[in-house]
Amino acid sequence: MNKRLRNALKGLTAPDVERRRRAMEPFVRETQVRFFKYLYWYLGNEGECEVVLEDVYADIWENPERLRNITNEKQLLRTVYLYYMRKRLREVYRRINRNLYLSQRNLKDLIAPEIGTLEMVSRSELQRILGQALSKLKARERRAIEFWMEGASNRAIANELKTTVGAVKMLVYRTMLKLRKMLRYYYRED
Amino acid sequence: MSESNREIHELLVDYAGALRDGCIPTFLKSLRREEAERIASSWEFWDAAEVSRILNSAGFADKAVAPNVGLFISRVDAEIASRLKKAKASPHGKRSARARSVTKRENRTEKSI
Repeated sequence: MNKRLRNALKGLTAPDVERRRRAMEPFVRETQVRFFKYLYWYLGNEGECEVVLEDVYADIWENPERLRNITNEKQLLRTVYLYYMRKRLREVYRRINRNLYLSQRNLKDLIAPEIGTLEMVSRSELQRILGQALSKLKARERRAIEFWMEGASNRAIANELKTTVGAVKMLVYRTMLKLRKMLRYYYRED
Repeated sequence: MSESNREIHELLVDYAGALRDGCIPTFLKSLRREEAERIASSWEFWDAAEVSRILNSAGFADKAVAPNVGLFISRVDAEIASRLKKAKASPHGKRSARARSVTKRENRTEKSI
């Protein structure tokens, strides 16, 4: 953890509210991009991420207890996700869920799940792990996932693979399950 | 996403697509009762959903453009200022609200006993 972030954390956990407020600026500068991208994993929407993150920082300022004794950036990210981001993510979707058929528990698991090992690894490590898994797939499966990751629609993937949209959906689904099996060591098994 | 009674693989692909395209609320609203039940009872859906989140992070999270940090800091500061103001305006608000909820809970307990 760099010195600026360490100092900002020290200021954030001080009892004086004004000192905490002053410490927020360097803290935001050091963490905003990482937190933002992390939230984007779950929300997939930049505007929504901004609003949620704004509340997350204000929550941290208001109640920074959880950030005491943080020693590294991984621990910081995990703590912020578990104790600050998830709460806000659930609030966002609880509002939507009033008229939905999903149970609160399923909704929570869908939009603010428990944190997994893969969410904690660095970007380069994640690319390496995924690259390895993708290389073990059949060519057709890999192409479907790669097209999907490039943002192609199901119809566009179907055109590329010369098949139907229904077949693409099944292929993507089965390939994701296959990837899940390959990556099982990184997931918490219940 | 408007098709009715989607199979589990279609639901997963729609969820993954919604996550990728930033329209999860639309996906959630599109769910019918049977589809929600299907999701709840399918461990395969949950497994594949985990992978879709990882793929999403690897493929798209880095393309997300974080807001301008200076502007964002001022928004956070304004939010903090408004919370400070609220706290100063009603110093007993929290306490009385908590007291109320405790009383409520106690009443509920009494009833259930």
